[in-house]
Amino acid sequence: MKTLSVALLITIAAAPLGAQQDWVARVSPEIATLVRELTSSAATRGLPIDPLIQKAIEGSAKGVPADRIAAALRALAGQLDVSAAALRRAGPSRPDTDAIAAGAFALNAGLSDTNVTDLARVSRPRHTEAATLRVAGTLAAMGVPAAQTVELVTQVIDAGGQSADVVALPAQVTAGVAHGQGVTPAQAAAGLARAAAARANAPGQQRPRPSHP
Amino acid sequence: MSGKDFHPQVKQLLDGELSLADLPAALRAEGEEALRLLAVVDREPVTFPGLETRVLAELRRRADSPSWWRRLVTPREVRLRVRPWTLVPAFAAALALVLFLAQPGPTPATSPVTVRFVLFAPDAQQVSLAGTFNQWDPAATPLVRTGTPGVWSATLILPAGQHQYAFVVDGARWVADPGAPAVDDGFGRRNSVLSL
Amino acid sequence: MSGQDGSTDGQVVRAILAGDTERYGELVTRYRDRYARYASRMLGSRDAAEDAVQDAFVRAYDQLAQCRDPDNFVGWFFLILRNRCFAERRKSKEVAPLEAAGAIAAVERAEVPVEAAEQRRALQHALLELTAEQREVFVLKHVEGLSYGEIAERLKTSVPSLKMRMHRAYDRLREQLRDRP
Repeated sequence: MKTLSVALLITIAAAPLGAQQDWVARVSPEIATLVRELTSSAATRGLPIDPLIQKAIEGSAKGVPADRIAAALRALAGQLDVSAAALRRAGPSRPDTDAIAAGAFALNAGLSDTNVTDLARVSRPRHTEAATLRVAGTLAAMGVPAAQTVELVTQVIDAGGQSADVVALPAQVTAGVAHGQGVTPAQAAAGLARAAAARANAPGQQRPRPSHP
Repeated sequence: MSGKDFHPQVKQLLDGELSLADLPAALRAEGEEALRLLAVVDREPVTFPGLETRVLAELRRRADSPSWWRRLVTPREVRLRVRPWTLVPAFAAALALVLFLAQPGPTPATSPVTVRFVLFAPDAQQVSLAGTFNQWDPAATPLVRTGTPGVWSATLILPAGQHQYAFVVDGARWVADPGAPAVDDGFGRRNSVLSL
Repeated sequence: MSGQDGSTDGQVVRAILAGDTERYGELVTRYRDRYARYASRMLGSRDAAEDAVQDAFVRAYDQLAQCRDPDNFVGWFFLILRNRCFAERRKSKEVAPLEAAGAIAAVERAEVPVEAAEQRRALQHALLELTAEQREVFVLKHVEGLSYGEIAERLKTSVPSLKMRMHRAYDRLREQLRDRP
């Protein structure tokens, strides 16, 4: 078994979780009851339910005690609510469930609800909020501070970046850290933001912070 | 007059599938009543002059910064170069790398991507991968030892999108990928994030 | 689906997504009135319809990155407008109430000559009493002139289910119009 060519190659089919009932088999009856209660309540508020099901399965697979799983599920439901509210503040369109889930991911990664609102606003119309928020959450998860994360994403979009450019940001920050020998993610991100601002022909000028109604 | 509902043939008349002459005599009166109903349908065209001005004014009003306005009047397209992916320097403890295979350039993936997961865990007897792509089942995706001592790997084809995962060492120890972005899993541990 | 300069919807949408956001005005101009009548009949009021169409254009701009088939922008826009019309809970007060309170005999309404405008209003009133789905199929077929097949394609449903909806609508309309004084 010397070469990678004999390494296992496994295809994982993407099955929409909400569509399958086998999540029930993966959690305890007590957790299943809680999941049903939280998801039906979430659905009436227009929130995505797959993240809740996913988290219940995860906790069960990790052998986490039921009360800890319950606490995590309630916390996640709360994050979905906060995310939806933050997206609604960004404009009149009803937020779609992908965007809400992505916003909750961003919140969990350390961004604030204000950050989520700002990122949603700056996304439109050329970028989907979900994609922008996933990238922002990933940057925050890499250790880029919230303010720098929002700044970097905003500058790239303002400079006319395509969706591929936004999606590539985490890799660029990682590369910046690797090249920079001691450069922190925050510093790498700041450097990229300055480069984007320069390209947008606004030398030395920071984008004004959006006002909050 | 007959009961409250229109006769099925009169409904076909209304649908345009029968003509009045096709109806039996007994249904003629009802058919005429139905056609009178259709005759008063208001088909007057409606226009909204100046709507485009109002829509654009609304969009500009909602813009929250001068730079949005600047984009509106001076559209500009800038491509940022994607630097080549490089490896994070190795550490003495467990090292994990995720390499992207078959990715020719910054195309946003909508088709599945081949991903190779690698973990340096020289003391492990068994390593597996659990994540959102396999229902977090620690038994579903074992890693295999590679030619290099202490290095385990598995290669998967994953759908585009965002995934969370962790390695499971010896069936019990959940280890996040030190080289990947990490988020709180809600249970006191960390999950790694993979975006495709 | 092209404008006078020959550019297709898809070209304009892709240009906007590439940064030329000013061009959204072209799409609004192109389709400004396309569904004005549909919205008016669905909501029972021209003003409510204008609000709905304006709102739908704003929403479409916000979500433009999610338009999966830019060459069929108008079909996607229609669905946004449709959702907006369905969400409209208030019935418009602007369809004038029937004024002939004392002037028309109660029973054999069809035999008493009434002004055509009055009858039109009565029918619009009656339409507002239907469910939104019933009203929609009636409006698309009898106001917009689409065939069942065309409606089925647009709404992603089947002709038999549309006919069932429509036939129920016919009966309810008949009931409404007979009950009016």
